[in-house]
Amino acid sequence: MNSKWLIALLTSAYALAQDPRQIMEEVQKRAQSKSQQYEGTLEVVDAKSKVSTKRWEYSRLGAFGNSKSVLRFTAPAEVKGVALLVHNHPDRSSDQWMWRPAIERDQRIALQDRSTRFFGTDFSYEDLEERDVNQFDFKLLGEETIDGKPCWKLESRPREKKVSQYTYSHLWIRKDNYVYTQIEAFNKAGLARRIKYTDIQNIQNIWTARTIEVFDATKKSRTTLKFEKLQYNVPLDDSGFTLQALRRSS
Amino acid sequence: MTLLRLISFQYVRKHKLRWLLTLAGIVLGVAVFVGMHTANQSVLRAFHQTIDRIAGTTQLQVSAGEAGFPEEALETVQNSPDIRVAVPVIEASVNPGRGNLLLLGVDMTGDRSLRDYDLENNNDDAIDDPLVFLAQPDSLLVTRIFANAYGLKIGDKLPMATMAGPRDFVVRGIMQSGGLASAFGGNLAVMDIYAAQKLLGRGRRFDRIDIAVREGVRVEDAQANLQKLLGTGYLVESPGARGQQFESTAQIYSLVSSITSMFALFVGMFLIYNTFEIAVSQRRSEIGILRALGATRSQIRTLFLGESVVAGLVGSVLGIAFGLLLARGIAAYVGTMLSEVYGVAQNVEDVAAEPWLLAAALFVGTLTSVLAALIPARDASRVDPVKALQKGKLQLIGQGENMRRRIGAIVLFALALGCMSMSYIRPLFYLGYLLAIMAAVLFAPTACNWVTRTLRPLMKWLRPVEGALAADSLIESPRRTSGTVTALMLSLALVIALGGVARSSYKSIQDWLVIALSPDLFVTTNESLTSRSFVFPPEIGDGIATIPGIDLVQMVRTVRINVRNTPVMLVCTDIASVARKIHLPPREGDPDTMYQEAAKGKGVIVSDNFALLRKYKLGDIIELPAPDGPLRMPILGIVIDYSDQQGSILLDRELYIKHWKDTTVNVFRVYLQNPTFEPSVRAKIQEMYGGRTRLFVFTNQDLRAYILKLTDQWFGLTYVQIAVAVLVAILGIVNTLTVSISDRKRELGVLQAVGGLRNQIRGTIWMEALAIGFTGLVLGLVVGAIQLYYTLEISRTDVAGLRLDYQYPINIAAVLLPVILGAAWISALGPAESAVRGSLVEALEYE
Repeated sequence: MNSKWLIALLTSAYALAQDPRQIMEEVQKRAQSKSQQYEGTLEVVDAKSKVSTKRWEYSRLGAFGNSKSVLRFTAPAEVKGVALLVHNHPDRSSDQWMWRPAIERDQRIALQDRSTRFFGTDFSYEDLEERDVNQFDFKLLGEETIDGKPCWKLESRPREKKVSQYTYSHLWIRKDNYVYTQIEAFNKAGLARRIKYTDIQNIQNIWTARTIEVFDATKKSRTTLKFEKLQYNVPLDDSGFTLQALRRSS
Repeated sequence: MTLLRLISFQYVRKHKLRWLLTLAGIVLGVAVFVGMHTANQSVLRAFHQTIDRIAGTTQLQVSAGEAGFPEEALETVQNSPDIRVAVPVIEASVNPGRGNLLLLGVDMTGDRSLRDYDLENNNDDAIDDPLVFLAQPDSLLVTRIFANAYGLKIGDKLPMATMAGPRDFVVRGIMQSGGLASAFGGNLAVMDIYAAQKLLGRGRRFDRIDIAVREGVRVEDAQANLQKLLGTGYLVESPGARGQQFESTAQIYSLVSSITSMFALFVGMFLIYNTFEIAVSQRRSEIGILRALGATRSQIRTLFLGESVVAGLVGSVLGIAFGLLLARGIAAYVGTMLSEVYGVAQNVEDVAAEPWLLAAALFVGTLTSVLAALIPARDASRVDPVKALQKGKLQLIGQGENMRRRIGAIVLFALALGCMSMSYIRPLFYLGYLLAIMAAVLFAPTACNWVTRTLRPLMKWLRPVEGALAADSLIESPRRTSGTVTALMLSLALVIALGGVARSSYKSIQDWLVIALSPDLFVTTNESLTSRSFVFPPEIGDGIATIPGIDLVQMVRTVRINVRNTPVMLVCTDIASVARKIHLPPREGDPDTMYQEAAKGKGVIVSDNFALLRKYKLGDIIELPAPDGPLRMPILGIVIDYSDQQGSILLDRELYIKHWKDTTVNVFRVYLQNPTFEPSVRAKIQEMYGGRTRLFVFTNQDLRAYILKLTDQWFGLTYVQIAVAVLVAILGIVNTLTVSISDRKRELGVLQAVGGLRNQIRGTIWMEALAIGFTGLVLGLVVGAIQLYYTLEISRTDVAGLRLDYQYPINIAAVLLPVILGAAWISALGPAESAVRGSLVEALEYE
């Protein structure tokens, strides 16, 4: 590579790096895919070290700000078939519905309930939404090293139209591949959740964390989500992301 | 104070039994007052506590009557900018075979924003696995109290009959004690609301929405905005306001208990009056000495009033203690009955009186005693010291005083008649009632004298010596007996009035049952017909109708709605079909056209008690609070219907479905082609649906028995009142005789000294007791006739709206004769023995 080119690239990257919005847009751009599918294993360890494990299948169609996703539990048997349908919107908070096959009922998850825990895990319903860059304001706080990797530390605050339980969040973005490595989400009381992204691998040219660990600062419990059979840009049909589809598949 | 200590205390010590009997009147009155009011308060407090504990941090609640409202309203509320949290709730009282359990159906995703399920250790993991809890509709969260009571632990099963058939519920979480977990005495279970809808047969409806407003928004503003948003068919109110509806249903018991306790105190007042009058007579020489030594009239009056204050205080304190003991039993009774009759679930945890009630009881008891002592104290202050020091002479009621009383009685009675003619003005009606009783009280000594004089020949014929002596003793000492006879008269009048109301009510209800309960079978979701927690889908009725041998199936949905701030029963059924089978006796309106028009949805038919209590007339427009807005309907007819004590409104089912959007059914009324098909049809219904849903089949006889059982429960308090009245009556006789014997110790001693045999003395006292009992009974039966009129009027206009026929309870009167005469005779045994076995010398030296 020509040294001039190298200097130009470094200069532009540095300039890019100084603008938090551009950093986040780059994060979003690099994670962009038409669809995504994986099988997840969820392990919840409560404050008394009691462990419960569940498995789910996840499909997403569309990208940031305009996507639809379905999360369906597959194990254990008592919870098999319970599903969550999420419709993300670019200009407002997502719509979410829960499907429970045992009573054959769908139930809309109200905005007010997004801060509650997702089925006893340490994720909240809001944490399962996609973070569209256009719904937040960002500020660059500095640079820090996380797990030996240099990162930008940013602060994000939800814009007016975005209903969020969090007043602000701290985001750590790896400089080398523009991937989240840690998020600390704060509410009025202080730190609410810490989300750590590890086992980051390049899958179909998209740097992806294969393990996400959520720590609930209030309850001192921990949930670990591991991704398996992760694929991007798989062909998915829009009709599979409706309430009717949820009902049909139960 | 010195006089009280030196004179009164000595006198009381000498006549302990007499004073105890005197105090008994106050004790009983105060006990009934404290017991019944404490019980009522405790029941209300328990209900409010349950509401508060269930409400959690709820600031507002949205409801639309008992039928609930469609789910769509939730989103409207949640989208309101004033609202921070809005969560749906279903509340039902169920019986899983381990006592009543309050089942709370909540949306587990958001409900914790309002309610804390685990206050004790602040551990959020009260639910073993939240996902499993939500995924499995049989999940139940119970309280530690309930779990401990029935030995339940996580994973244990709790069987329950549901609308989806019998189910084994699994305990998937245990709430620690405190807060929500202590609501309804800890007999509380929480389940997912959507599962509850299915298991209770509620369809896609909620009972209410609990709300917390956003920070910075005034609750009043949020309430007004939400009310505007939802329309008048919904009620947006604070959680505490729910208690007001319950209070209005419990109010009736408060009124009944007030009347009974006031009556007991009123009767007790005469007992005290009697004792003080005799005490004044007995202590006239003592009073004479005091007066001779320079005591002023005012000091004598104060001495007796001071005694009455002490007696009142002691009696009240004892009454309060006794009342608090009574309260627990009464609270359990009232609680069960409100639950049975009104289907309002609550559980009385602790029975405790409020300080103001105890203070009021102390005040009322003491005041009663002081009022009773006013006349005797005045008489005492007027004792002539010279006459008083002459032994063996009693001052009798002067002719002038008797005359004044008679004239007073006639004037009061005339005024009472005047008030009666204007009884549509309620204060005048109650004034008339009071005047009539006062007239009877004033006239009682004269009437007592007349009856005794009339009895004298009979008594003399029966026992020439004893009869004549007894009659003369009563005639010559009216002051000694008139108080007791008046007390007896009032007590027995109350017995006659209450008995009359009960008798008329029974007859009216039985007549109504014959007309209204004509179906052969009733298919319900509950053993208790008043519980409406579970409901049927209409399809079950369609299925039942296909069973061979069935002529007609009527679907009935009953829901309690608020009309003019009172919960009344809305009965929704196919009116055309009802008209084919029954015509409830009309009070107003054309019996033919009213059903036709109502069947077309052009109006409603209301019960007579509803019209009377809520002041509605034929043709008036009634506003029914439907979820889609108030439904204004004209009253097409007023009929006699005892379906509900607060009144009922008959509305066509189609109209109900249209405005309430509720197709569910409480009861299927089944008519058979032939009554002999009953066992086979019943068996077929059970076979078709018994295993699939929660279902109970009652025969016509079963239902009648059930309604009469409820009627019995309703009159349970009346029977308590009757028992209290009879007890007071007996107490009066015992009191009088005990007082009378000690008062006449010298007289009886003289009789023995001049050759009177012990048997003759004994017989005289027995005859006297029987005469007092008989006189009180005669007067009581007469005054009871008046009292019955007033009680029926109060019941008709102010309490139950029941237009009952005047039926004198001859059977009760017949029972009272041997009871009172027997009680009089038994009461006389002790005093008679005391009179004949005492020392003759001591008796002659008495006084």
